[in-house]
Amino acid sequence: MAFWTLFKREFISYFNSAVAYVVLFGSAFVQGLMFTIIIWAITDSNFKQASVLQIFFSWTLFWLLIFVQVPLITMRVFSEEFKLGTIEMLLTAPVREWDVVLAKFFGALTFFLVLWLPVVLDLLALQLFSSPPPPVYWSQIGMTALTITLVGGFYISLGVFTSVLTKNQIIAAVLCFALLFITFGISTFRWFRHIDANVLAWASYASAPEHIQNAGLGLFDSRPIVFYVSLTAFMLMLTKSILESRRLRS
Amino acid sequence: MIEVENLSKTYSGFRAVQGISFHVNKGEIVGFLGPNGAGKSTTMKVLSGYLPPTDGKISIAGFDVVNDSIEVRKRIGYMPENVPLYTDMRVNEFLRFRAELKKVASRKIKDRVETVKQLCHLKDVENKIIGTLSKGYRQRVGLADAMVHEPELLILDEPTIGLDPNQIRSVRDLIKDLGKHHTILLSTHILSEVELTCTRVLVINRGRIEASDTPANLTKLVRGGGSILLEVKAAHLEVISKIEALPDVEDVEVTLPGDGDWTQAKIFAKPGVDVREAVYGVVRANDWPLREMARVKATLEEAFVELTQD
Repeated sequence: MAFWTLFKREFISYFNSAVAYVVLFGSAFVQGLMFTIIIWAITDSNFKQASVLQIFFSWTLFWLLIFVQVPLITMRVFSEEFKLGTIEMLLTAPVREWDVVLAKFFGALTFFLVLWLPVVLDLLALQLFSSPPPPVYWSQIGMTALTITLVGGFYISLGVFTSVLTKNQIIAAVLCFALLFITFGISTFRWFRHIDANVLAWASYASAPEHIQNAGLGLFDSRPIVFYVSLTAFMLMLTKSILESRRLRS
Repeated sequence: MIEVENLSKTYSGFRAVQGISFHVNKGEIVGFLGPNGAGKSTTMKVLSGYLPPTDGKISIAGFDVVNDSIEVRKRIGYMPENVPLYTDMRVNEFLRFRAELKKVASRKIKDRVETVKQLCHLKDVENKIIGTLSKGYRQRVGLADAMVHEPELLILDEPTIGLDPNQIRSVRDLIKDLGKHHTILLSTHILSEVELTCTRVLVINRGRIEASDTPANLTKLVRGGGSILLEVKAAHLEVISKIEALPDVEDVEVTLPGDGDWTQAKIFAKPGVDVREAVYGVVRANDWPLREMARVKATLEEAFVELTQD
């Protein structure tokens, strides 16, 4: 299976680059810091009822972290191949463009999920070292994990798309950051007072922070799932056709 | 093995390859010659399935390059110019990855990787990271990659560029050896290499095929395949007039100034005619003291220059 071979190579190659370790370390550090601050805040202000999970993922810092992570993970996936010329070697092997695009996407998504493993450890520590241990709601945890995967997948597909546009990694990263900002900007509509209700409803449908908040409450909603899966598929299709047309032009 | 009919390739208005046709038979080692920008690399990229042709029909091993691209790619080993490699991988790791990607059966991968490492003398660097290897080693890793899946056809774009003379010799021997089992199409600028390795030469210039023949036949195209060097004690005008009077001699060039009374002349005969005996006859008839007479074979370099210069 060409996909599996390529996927393995993509995923392992993250651990061969210094950038990946910086991102990994930075993420773990920021996540740990956020976690510590939340625990402090909760104990300090004597909240009667608070979900660490909910506070963590509705914090702006969480989004900021994602917006730094995603471009750093995806900027190299195609840009580097174009720059080194290895794309020629890759595409003259008996592989289809789809195999390449999907392997790069899933490789990046898997690495993205690895970046969130420290949070699992943080939550585990909370469970082990507090007495009495806080209650665990699996539906909330499961829905949050699923939503992060879906949102992450969509963001990664944007990054993979910007990476196929240029051989310059910096340009790819900046473009990706811009696209993430635009998609995220939609969720800020609810802060405006004089805005049409229809627009607001539409914005809420596309608003990632709302999706994560709902997931944190343990609510299952199929609409965001359809929304992210279809958008991700669309971005990957776009990536594939640009990969093909770049070859036609080169 | 390769059938190319009327292949054209246009890049944003520039016609890099203009309707070329050629074929390569199974078991041949064909050298692809031409000045920089003649369309060699472009043609090779189209053959390898990387670039689609603008026009024309190409089939490799009976499969169409455009419609059966995957089948074609399974059967060729392509080494691009400048040998792009994943610089973060180790040699072993890279070759195994490529073998897997090229659909070598999993139980055969280890064997194939060992074999190509042996063939390309990569054993001593097998665990090194490709990014730390010298140009010569990278070139050999590229070559090993190209043949790891035992392709029927090898397409090598400048396989010896940037190598030192010893490495060039070892790659040349390797290519000759590979030629016993594979069909090879290679491009190069080193003409002596072509003379030594290739069974046939394709000369391409400005996107057109100028000649297709064996290296030996190509050199014959150049002024009858060579010249005769003659050094006699006589006035140069006399030498020119008397030798040019011979029926099969086309031209006589004299190197001036001569060495004292000696005259050195280069004699060009009609293609395929040996005039050495007739020249010696003239020398004897005039009783010129003779110091040297030798046949100078035309080189492929001269043929190349003649075919590609405007």
